[in-house]
Amino acid sequence: MRRRVVPAAFLAVAALAALAGCGSDAGSGGKTEITFWDTNAGPSRTPIWQHAIAEFERANPTIKVKYVGIPIAQAPQKLDTAIAGGGVPDVADVSTSGLANLVAQKALDPVDDRISKNPALTGKFNEALLTTVRNVVPDGKTYIVPLSTNAGAFWYRKDWFKEAGLEPPKTWSEFFTVVDKLTKPSENRFGFTIRGGAGSIAQMLEVVYGQSGITEFFDAAGKATINDPRNVTALEKYAGLYKKNTPEADLQNDYVKMVAQFDTAGSIAVMQHNLGSYQDHIKALGPDKVASFSVPKSDSGTQAVLSNPVGGVGVFSAGENKEAAFKLAEFFASKDIDGYIADKTGVIPANTDVQGTQAAHIVEAQRVLNDPATKVVQMPYHLPEFNEITKTWAEPLFQKVLLGELTAKDFLDQLAAKLTEAQAGYKERHG
Amino acid sequence: MRGARRWQIYVPLGLYLLFTLVPFYWMLVFAFRPRGSTSIVPWPITFEHFDTVWNGMGFAVFFQNSLLVGLASLVATTVVALAGGYALARYAFRGKAAFMVGMLCTQFIPGALMIIPLFEIFRTLSLTNSLWSLVIAETVFQLPLSLILISGFIRNIPYELEQAAWVDGCSRLRGFLAVVLPLLRPALVAVGSFAFIHSWNNFLFALMFINDQEKFTVPVGLAYNLGENSVDFGALAAGGVVAALPVVIVFAFIQRYLVQGLSAGAVKG
Repeated sequence: MRRRVVPAAFLAVAALAALAGCGSDAGSGGKTEITFWDTNAGPSRTPIWQHAIAEFERANPTIKVKYVGIPIAQAPQKLDTAIAGGGVPDVADVSTSGLANLVAQKALDPVDDRISKNPALTGKFNEALLTTVRNVVPDGKTYIVPLSTNAGAFWYRKDWFKEAGLEPPKTWSEFFTVVDKLTKPSENRFGFTIRGGAGSIAQMLEVVYGQSGITEFFDAAGKATINDPRNVTALEKYAGLYKKNTPEADLQNDYVKMVAQFDTAGSIAVMQHNLGSYQDHIKALGPDKVASFSVPKSDSGTQAVLSNPVGGVGVFSAGENKEAAFKLAEFFASKDIDGYIADKTGVIPANTDVQGTQAAHIVEAQRVLNDPATKVVQMPYHLPEFNEITKTWAEPLFQKVLLGELTAKDFLDQLAAKLTEAQAGYKERHG
Repeated sequence: MRGARRWQIYVPLGLYLLFTLVPFYWMLVFAFRPRGSTSIVPWPITFEHFDTVWNGMGFAVFFQNSLLVGLASLVATTVVALAGGYALARYAFRGKAAFMVGMLCTQFIPGALMIIPLFEIFRTLSLTNSLWSLVIAETVFQLPLSLILISGFIRNIPYELEQAAWVDGCSRLRGFLAVVLPLLRPALVAVGSFAFIHSWNNFLFALMFINDQEKFTVPVGLAYNLGENSVDFGALAAGGVVAALPVVIVFAFIQRYLVQGLSAGAVKG
């Protein structure tokens, strides 16, 4: 008996001793150490940030940056826990979609002063992006150093379009025609994959406002425009694609399932997403088989696109090494590094000095964004309830619309009522 | 009649196996087939995804961390449950029934609810960002069920066996070690394996209490593969194989004891 117990006890002691070793922090050799949280970590993004950090450490030998990658799905919870319980990072990449929540908790320091005192950054940011960043928060300050923005993109199979003698659609009428022509269920080919699961509402809004050409999310009286009859018609057309030109399983489609069908199974002709999925498509299908087109114009000729979240880096007010943290944020936004990050992640850089060899899909997205005729529908990221309304509340109802259990009009009427109420509450609180 | 019985047994079993194993098969297909392939068999075989997760994504470190946390949780849970389970089975004390009810009640509290209080406690103890925090949290969450199982098992061992050992001159501890402990092997295997597997699979604690890339565990590493703008199915599947392997091996060795331990512990003494 003793012979069995003694080795087990040694094993336990050895394991605990090893744990104790793992629990201690390594010294940083007298350098200032700051922590950077990447809130969308993954195999394709992590090396990009790590390269940028290595460049920063080379330029600032007295500062050491500790990179921590957080999976995107759990990032808000991790940040909220750190804010509530202590232990926030010095710097993190933050998108405008989550910025209002962080600012409401007084977690971030404004960066206006730092930008205005830095000649390398003053006046270098795309004004539209700065406006989006400031519109999100009630005090109109800039709480992230903007790095990039995204844009809606429709990824399509170049080889299938060529086979069928089709051109990428320029208008929504052309879009529906093309999608229909490319649907061949007997060959397990579908013209489109509709996002029916997590994240469905943003894509639905893009298609609806794109078709209707309506350019404001709220009218002058603060009433949501989402249930305008033109939007109702647009949603009916969009939902009509389900099962006719899409697989039936699309009801549960999130990003992962869409990519699985488009990239891996190879059964989809057109997939709606944004510029950010470029790397996945190129890795899986190669540049000869895949390309993107922008949100088509409405049949009346208006190009209406949704304002996309702006990505940037925020400096946490509870951080102990603010100077080093601000330096890192400014370094990421500098011309060379911002250009590098935007190029590698396939998004539009915020620094207007960034030039150079950019991929075709970025050039096309920039053309649309910079075209004076393009109307940008400002999404209400400033509403604290926006995420809850569009995710928890609206996603299951949108599935009912796809299944024909709820009419497009009823759904949009209810959605409009929720958004109008939230906007009224916001106005009341902040004037 | 005999043929009909076989049919009734094997067809549902076969269907169930098919239902269970198809996802595993797909995991293996994605893990071993080359990037860009749409083949339904993993041929030609490639190990590039394993190289990506093991060397490129740091699974070598995550695996080591998970193993350390799993083993430490296993030891801590088993030792404490053994001592506590013995006390619950053999001693009568005031508040015993209420204590048992209290332990059962803790099973209804989701771990996510405890994250912020636990985070604050660990921060006060300077244990955040340490693998110790995971071991302690795991042990605490595993203990109630483990205590109930072990105490149920000990109750089934005749008290007379211990009393006979005392008559022969053994102390209470010596009697326990020499007579009771050998009979508890199935229960120890059940409790230890549950503790190990639970801590091996736990994602939330590792993500919340650890702020250092080198201290994350395997489930956190797996989550890296699911981004809004990046999904690497090959790496995800290879990571899944790495994560599942220890659990499969543990189950293969212990399943005999596990059934015995669970059923014996479930009987009221």
